Amino acid sequence: MIEIQEVTKQFRDKKKFVTALKHVTFTIEKGETVGLLGENGAGKTTLLRTIATLLTPTEGHIKVDGYDTVKNADEIKKGLGVLFGGETGLYDRLTARENLEYFAMLYGLSKHETKVRIDELSKMFGMRDYLNRKVGDFSKGMRQKVAIARTLIHNPDIILFDEPTTGLDITSSNVFRQLVHQLKKEGKTIIFSSHIMEEVSMLCDSVAMMHKGELIYHGNLEELYQTEESRDLNYIFMSKLVRGNDTYAS
Amino acid sequence: MLRKIYVKEMKYAFRDYRTLILSVVLPIIMMTGLTFFYEKLSSDGEGETFTLAVSDSITESEEAILAVYENIKLIKSANPEQVVQDGDAEAGLILADDFSASIEKGEKTTVTLIGNTFSHNSSTLMSIVTNALTSYEKMIVSSRLEQNGTDPNLLQPFVIEQKEISEDDIGSNLLAMMVPLMLVLAIGIGAAPSAYDLFAGEKEKKTMEALLMTPVNRSTLLLSKWLSISSIGVITGIITILVVTVEIAFFTEKLKSGLSFGENVWMIVLLSLLVIIIFSMFNAALLMLTSIVAKTVKEAQSYSTPIMMLGVFPTMIISSIGVNELAFYHFAIPIMNIFSILKELLFGVINYEHILITLLSNLAAMIIIFIFSRILFLKDKWVMS
Repeated sequence: MIEIQEVTKQFRDKKKFVTALKHVTFTIEKGETVGLLGENGAGKTTLLRTIATLLTPTEGHIKVDGYDTVKNADEIKKGLGVLFGGETGLYDRLTARENLEYFAMLYGLSKHETKVRIDELSKMFGMRDYLNRKVGDFSKGMRQKVAIARTLIHNPDIILFDEPTTGLDITSSNVFRQLVHQLKKEGKTIIFSSHIMEEVSMLCDSVAMMHKGELIYHGNLEELYQTEESRDLNYIFMSKLVRGNDTYAS
Repeated sequence: MLRKIYVKEMKYAFRDYRTLILSVVLPIIMMTGLTFFYEKLSSDGEGETFTLAVSDSITESEEAILAVYENIKLIKSANPEQVVQDGDAEAGLILADDFSASIEKGEKTTVTLIGNTFSHNSSTLMSIVTNALTSYEKMIVSSRLEQNGTDPNLLQPFVIEQKEISEDDIGSNLLAMMVPLMLVLAIGIGAAPSAYDLFAGEKEKKTMEALLMTPVNRSTLLLSKWLSISSIGVITGIITILVVTVEIAFFTEKLKSGLSFGENVWMIVLLSLLVIIIFSMFNAALLMLTSIVAKTVKEAQSYSTPIMMLGVFPTMIISSIGVNELAFYHFAIPIMNIFSILKELLFGVINYEHILITLLSNLAAMIIIFIFSRILFLKDKWVMS
């Protein structure tokens, strides 16, 4: 379970402070798949980074399975897999296998565990043909698959994906969607941010909508459809934004 | 864990062609070029043949003034200055038309020496010709005085005897200037690409975030990366020293004669290795700090370039100081102390007190830089792009 309590995050930009998160509070249950929606600069990546212990909240706190992200970061990291969008975070001059072996070692996996896990993941993502080739020569889709495999190498219970399908072709995006279904079946807790409403609608149990650092909605997706009397998530999101802006204006 | 991360970083660094070129190929090329350049520079002209342009009208007796120097080849020309301008002779000598006749008559005459003092070969030839003319002048003066019944010693009431306390020749001095400078530059340039890659590069490629998401302690990451940069510096330093030693031993004469370590040779080699290690570690700490502060590899390069330039300044200070004049502060200031201690070692001097001061001052500077780097590395602002 992830408990986000009154989290505010400020960054200093030259002489002024920029508030990326404003008193964000919500809870994600174990095994839940949450879609994080918002425009660019809404605070999605900052929230994911703060949950991932990479950033320290300016105010408030986050607890992951009872562990505080500031005080018990190492405990949380053991059970957390994170993939940030855009760059895949892989070492170009290492092969796909070497990349996976390196991260398995950093997560404390034994040689045997590493071998078994690499076999499982390479089969799952169809990476066997290029496992021993240097990542620098890979296409974006191939890199993304290796990056996802790296995220899952230690079999984490909680997985954070930041815009994971951005820039991927349709085949690779489908592979990712199948993966999320598979991970849901395994009972993993998943949070992923996305601009693609169809993807969120298809994969998520609940959504968290963010606007200018504030959480404007969090709840079950089916309940949201019933309340809004529509199944068009794009329309719902836009109307929430308009209502949100009216609220800010008043 | 530290060892495994270190091994990966080393493997990753040496798969980069930039690291291979800058830490292995560049020192070989740089040291080869400089060794032969300094060998030529240390040459006093002995064994080399020079071309001197003289007037068409030069007589046999006038040519005889220079006959003692077999390495001077004469070119006769109506315009010796033009021959020198055209680069066909290193220097030119124009004797007045009535030079021999005037001397015989005891009259004053003129000699014009043409050359380029900024050219090593030209200035060497000019100096040889000046020496020959000075000897000839003394001979004429003595002969004239004797003819007048005057003792030639009257003109020379005393003789200045210059005693050189330094037993070292030009070769030792050039080596003491060249080796530390090349070593400092080679270690700096060789270790730089991996330093940029391991911090600023990882931030740029987002591998730093993936790395920080693992449960590995940040200090362990910092230490292993610093050790990798240091090791690359040490490898570059050893290659540099090896190349320069082999080339001096087998391909030079003057510089080789400057190396006379006697029985201390192995101790000097060991101490030089220790100096290389300690400087590589200090240099790695500096490069690491600039790479942590930078957001991109380009930014890291901009920060580290002026720091590397700092390594050139001590050459100017230390090269003009005798090995017996080196004081405490020469060994207490990092970077300068590398030049000072290597100068001593190259002159065959082993002073353990100076070595200790050098090691301790570098160690202290390194610890301060490392602590500062660690503080930055623990902060979100400096580890995220």
